[in-house]
Amino acid sequence: MILSRDEHLHGSPAQARVHLRDLRDEDLIVHVQNGQRKAYDELVARYKGRLFSFILRMVKDPTLAEELAQETLIRVYIHAEKYREIARFSTWVFTIATNLVRNKMRQRSRRPRLISLNPAPLDDEMPVDPPDPKSDPTETIEREELSRIMAEATSRIPEKYRIPFLLREVEQLSYEEIQQVTGLKLGTVRSRINRARTRFRNLIKPMLRNETLLAELEEIESRANEDKD
Amino acid sequence: MRCTKAREYLSRHLDDNLPPRETGELDRHLDDCAECRTYRSDLRIGQRLLAATEPELPENFDWKLQLQLNRTLREAAGEAVLPWHEDHSVDRWSFLKSFGTATAAGLAAVLTLAMFLGPQLMPRGAAVPVAGTGPAANEAMVAGWDASDRLPLYTRGSGGSIFRDGSGLQAVSGQSRSTPWQRPETVSGWSGHRQYDLQTIQRLRYENRRLQNILGQYQHRVRALQTYLDTTGTGQLDLRNDPRSDPGSGPTDQNEQ
Repeated sequence: MILSRDEHLHGSPAQARVHLRDLRDEDLIVHVQNGQRKAYDELVARYKGRLFSFILRMVKDPTLAEELAQETLIRVYIHAEKYREIARFSTWVFTIATNLVRNKMRQRSRRPRLISLNPAPLDDEMPVDPPDPKSDPTETIEREELSRIMAEATSRIPEKYRIPFLLREVEQLSYEEIQQVTGLKLGTVRSRINRARTRFRNLIKPMLRNETLLAELEEIESRANEDKD
Repeated sequence: MRCTKAREYLSRHLDDNLPPRETGELDRHLDDCAECRTYRSDLRIGQRLLAATEPELPENFDWKLQLQLNRTLREAAGEAVLPWHEDHSVDRWSFLKSFGTATAAGLAAVLTLAMFLGPQLMPRGAAVPVAGTGPAANEAMVAGWDASDRLPLYTRGSGGSIFRDGSGLQAVSGQSRSTPWQRPETVSGWSGHRQYDLQTIQRLRYENRRLQNILGQYQHRVRALQTYLDTTGTGQLDLRNDPRSDPGSGPTDQNEQ
């Protein structure tokens, strides 16, 4: 039997997987730098969901979000040797993703806009339409519908506030890490997150008093906890 | 403390980023301000909503990533590999080591076949052409070489592959019986020009893959025959009665298909 390079490094494939799963991101990327492809697969497994989630909430287009998430992961592989452990690996990855998203949004904004025939343009502060459970009391609010509303609300936060907001709320990056990713000053990061939170709260305010929605939220959370267990 | 300041502190407090002194001030404000307490509650529900509605990955994400990565790596290899032109610290011939062994094995297999089959294919009295030596011949070969898609070690014929027909293994590079061997028109050396040399390298790699395919197919065939011998216990093979000696079942050049 011919063993691959990865298998030689860590014994059997199963042992290799266990070994890689125990490593920090920063150690895995060193293995990638040494040409170990399985370490890259492990990093992909850890980050693909987070990246897709972050990018989708930025660009609001699932196809484009998938494309940019893949582009980010490909750049991680191609430029692995450029990573130095002066920053956390997650900071480096999200810096790549943020730059890609910004470039894409800049390209979009350069395109000529179509003039809307709707005489009442959307107000950024206008709350998003909540689901109407009274229309069918037996119908529970589906998770997909809730996701759509959250995506709609998130997309209405201006981009300059949205990036630090999502990096904090979704990716749980620290203020210092967000500072590294965005290149903003620490005080600016704090104030932008605060402003984004206020806007987000105003956008979803009608939903926050909706008992059915809160019950559905608790159900989703309990299902997620069961899945984890 | 004003509510605006309290909400700014609240945001930082949610992120565990508020110093103890400011935390005390905030707590005192919250004790007296019902609106800010509601605001804090709203922010927490907002966080829970975001966490609960994390989007799911599209199907086949890994598979598509693999495809895209392979494509990117291929493109990168075709355009920017071998930085020896700019970087003199890199051994410009080191890349030959990676596929030299496999190429040698493939060439050995082809030459072995040619040794057995060549005399049958060669017209009587025909002399094997030998490439000229010396500067004049070399210059002539270089002058005759251009960037067209010609292979360096052999000439691609119309059916360019090694096929097995009813009379056994016979044709190399798809040449007809009347012209069984054709002198290579290209050179396998280096022109010193980066673009041409990269093209030569690409052709050599193509050849390497092709020869590896052929070698693999012959090895597989030998193993099958060996198994057949072992199972039948006979010392001889009657190819006429062996269903695996069907003309269409012989090794084929996958690169040519």
